[in-house]
Amino acid sequence: MNAAEELKNALPNSVVSISFQLDKPLAIIKKEDILKAATIARDMGFVHLSVITGIDYCDRYEVVYNFLSYVRKQNLVLKVILDHNNPVVDSLTSIWKGADWLERETYDLVGIKFSGHPDLKRILLPEGWAGHPLQKDYDMKTEQFVTIGDDGEDIVSTDGSNLLRRKYHGN
Amino acid sequence: MFENAYELIVYIMTALGIYDSIFRVFEVLGIEYVLRIIIVFVEIVVLFAFALVTIMFLTWMERKVVAMVQARYGPMVTGPRGLLQPVMDGVKLIGKEDIIPDKADRWVFTLAPFIIFIPALLVFIPLPFGDSLVISNFKIGLLYIIAVSAISPIAILLAGWASNNKYSLMGAMRAVAQDISYTIPLALAAIAIVMFTGSLSMVDIVTAQGGTWFGVIPKWFIFLQPLGFILFLIASIAEMGRIPFDFQESESELVAGFFTEYSGMKFAMFFLAEYAHLFAVSGIVVTLFLGGWNGPAVPFIPVQITSLVYFLIKTYAVIFFAMWLRDTVPRMRIDQLLGLGWKVMVPVALLNLLVTGLLVTAGVI
Amino acid sequence: METDELILNMGPVHPSTHGVLRFRLRMDGEIIKNCEIVMGYLHRGTEKLGEMKTYLQFIPYTDRLDYISAMPNNYAYVKAVEELAGIEVPQRAEYIRVMIMELNRIVNHIVSIGSLLMDLGAATMIMWGFRERETALQLFEQLCGARMTFNYIKPGGVREDLPEGFIPKLREWMKDMEKRLVDYEQLINDNEIFHMRMKDIGTISAQEAINYGLTGPSLRGSGVDYDMRKIEPYSIYPDIDFKACTRPEGDSYARYIVRIDEIKESLQILRQVIDSMPEGKIVSNAKYGIAPMTGSPSSVMTYFPRIFTPHAGEVYSRIEAPKGELGFYIVSDGTTKPYRVKIRSPSFCNLTAIPKMVQGLRIPDLIAAFGTIDVVLGDVDR
Repeated sequence: MNAAEELKNALPNSVVSISFQLDKPLAIIKKEDILKAATIARDMGFVHLSVITGIDYCDRYEVVYNFLSYVRKQNLVLKVILDHNNPVVDSLTSIWKGADWLERETYDLVGIKFSGHPDLKRILLPEGWAGHPLQKDYDMKTEQFVTIGDDGEDIVSTDGSNLLRRKYHGN
Repeated sequence: MFENAYELIVYIMTALGIYDSIFRVFEVLGIEYVLRIIIVFVEIVVLFAFALVTIMFLTWMERKVVAMVQARYGPMVTGPRGLLQPVMDGVKLIGKEDIIPDKADRWVFTLAPFIIFIPALLVFIPLPFGDSLVISNFKIGLLYIIAVSAISPIAILLAGWASNNKYSLMGAMRAVAQDISYTIPLALAAIAIVMFTGSLSMVDIVTAQGGTWFGVIPKWFIFLQPLGFILFLIASIAEMGRIPFDFQESESELVAGFFTEYSGMKFAMFFLAEYAHLFAVSGIVVTLFLGGWNGPAVPFIPVQITSLVYFLIKTYAVIFFAMWLRDTVPRMRIDQLLGLGWKVMVPVALLNLLVTGLLVTAGVI
Repeated sequence: METDELILNMGPVHPSTHGVLRFRLRMDGEIIKNCEIVMGYLHRGTEKLGEMKTYLQFIPYTDRLDYISAMPNNYAYVKAVEELAGIEVPQRAEYIRVMIMELNRIVNHIVSIGSLLMDLGAATMIMWGFRERETALQLFEQLCGARMTFNYIKPGGVREDLPEGFIPKLREWMKDMEKRLVDYEQLINDNEIFHMRMKDIGTISAQEAINYGLTGPSLRGSGVDYDMRKIEPYSIYPDIDFKACTRPEGDSYARYIVRIDEIKESLQILRQVIDSMPEGKIVSNAKYGIAPMTGSPSSVMTYFPRIFTPHAGEVYSRIEAPKGELGFYIVSDGTTKPYRVKIRSPSFCNLTAIPKMVQGLRIPDLIAAFGTIDVVLGDVDR
């Protein structure tokens, strides 16, 4: 019995289907039950959250969680499928501290929101950046310019007006 | 042989037969003191030139020593084996834009590099470079040196505060904390020396170290005060602010510490002061513990020259040690350093003082 | 006495942040109360680029992630593609790959230790380390013409066979390295000040380390006996005798010692690989995919289609890079370009633990802990 089957036995109502991602057991989870499923996965020994991947499939979003058990030397992949108009899923930060930045990155680049995340803001791109680059309909034609403002925060504009040399601030 | 360099110059001029005639000219005019001033001025110019050349040489030497330890060449292009590199550095620094930050305190910011440079040079005044080669033999030479070196943390604090930069301020705070905690063991270790000589004059301290025991071991105070020497050496490296105690700069933490915001000539002043300080402190270590300019006499060569050579050899040995140390050990942490200063070095220095006092009183040494 | 908190911006331009990283520190005097990490100054959109390039075109971009050890980056991506497309690799190619990756691991650890010591104020180590690294980089240059960004490993094998005289030179280098390693240890390991700076600094327990997703030497330094080469053996690692180096303490010193041990272990692996290097092809020449080959192959040896299409599907493939677990998540939609490339970079994930490690410590401790985590900003920001 592989890990995905074990998980289905433990949570028959939450697991939509099980299959394989190449050789790794894969379980598709209802999006509202991901926190529950992840907790059980951790208790099953899958203590290492390798990566959180958000994928834009144009009609839906998928969030894929790759787990690894150091003891069992096995993999487990959990996947949730999100609505394209309102991609929200529960955050795993309460279980894995390491999920914090992975979720922030997914939010930043793919635009998936994680409810319950303590500090969900952009991580690689500056605040105020328009669009999420890894969405398939991201507008790559528009140039965006970033400078650092007086308070140390980033300023983003699309016309480059913030690139003009700042005036001298007399005391 | 002579009280100070002034008398030496007078002696040389007399021997050449020109002093009397020159003196007579000034005597007729009734301004003998002008001649005195001129001679002293010449001394100071010579000292200043010596200091500058030494500093330039030291910057070159530092880079060469670092290069030696780190298996590379160091400067090689300008001049023979890169010897003219310091000149080029100076030219480059003079040519740099002199930036004063917008929000800095302009007056203090400009003043600080000069304040730090002056005490570094003032320390040279009572330092005996050789027999008779001392600008002025104060009776309180040692006290004067400790007092004058205490000015440099003020300059560092001024620089750090005036820069209006957090790194500078933290560097300055560290420098002051470090200096306060290390001047005390430094002074305590030096006082143990004074117990032997009974005089604060640097010349007297050197003279007391002349001669040998059993004809072999030179009567240097390092053999009477091994513990004191170690304390003094550690404290002086902390005073100089070099690795492992370079918290005022600690470039990997505070960028450049108190002179982060400085550029051009002002930066160069800090740089020069650092090396002047290095030479001065090494000279003091040599004077107090390593016999100063004492050494075996060489026939046919005036003692003034041999003593100067001995002094320079010993001083450069100490400088080399400091540079070697810099390349070998990592930096400590400021709280560890303060802990070492107050919890180890001050008690040990006091104990050393107590034991020395007992032995001197009992007449053992 | 009431004092204000000091907000200190360390970086993005600072000597010890190894690039363009920024710590926003809330300080009480010199004590760090809160550390927030701001990044993205080197973000180049590698993942988006991955969607626009063919599978082969993307390999040079992986070099630019962790540019200190680019070979494992190449390999991790290529391994994912190979798993996705079901490409077989000749045995000799696997041996060359492992050899060159272990060499790169040593190079990476030398740089890591050197820059750590430089951050602590002892600049000698990095110069000594770069002396050995230079020779190793020359070996890389002989092999593939590049010193740091190799583009050497490709799907189905490697780009070029070993040049003449490569193995003897490598043996010489290894002999030299063993001697130098003793020098390094004499310079650093027994230094009292080094101990004072490193022991009990940036401590993280095994439980927390796993929770924060630490991998690589940082996790092994906390006493977790893990190594992707052991847990999920890939390439020829099952045939090689080596051990995962661990230390129980979890402090900066432990992480440093783990790196020194790993250099020794990698030398051990190198020796075994060189001794049992098989002869044969370096590139698989079976036909994959349906797209026709473009351009003409330079020789029969390096025949492999430049454009190919794996079946639709997704794969997550990870390796033990010098800095930790490096994984590529690739989604293929059956065209010549990946649908989605996600990079799980070890530097990014290991950096997560820094705020926890340095809480309540001082700036010099932040430098020490950060140095032992060993991040490369190209890998963090991608």
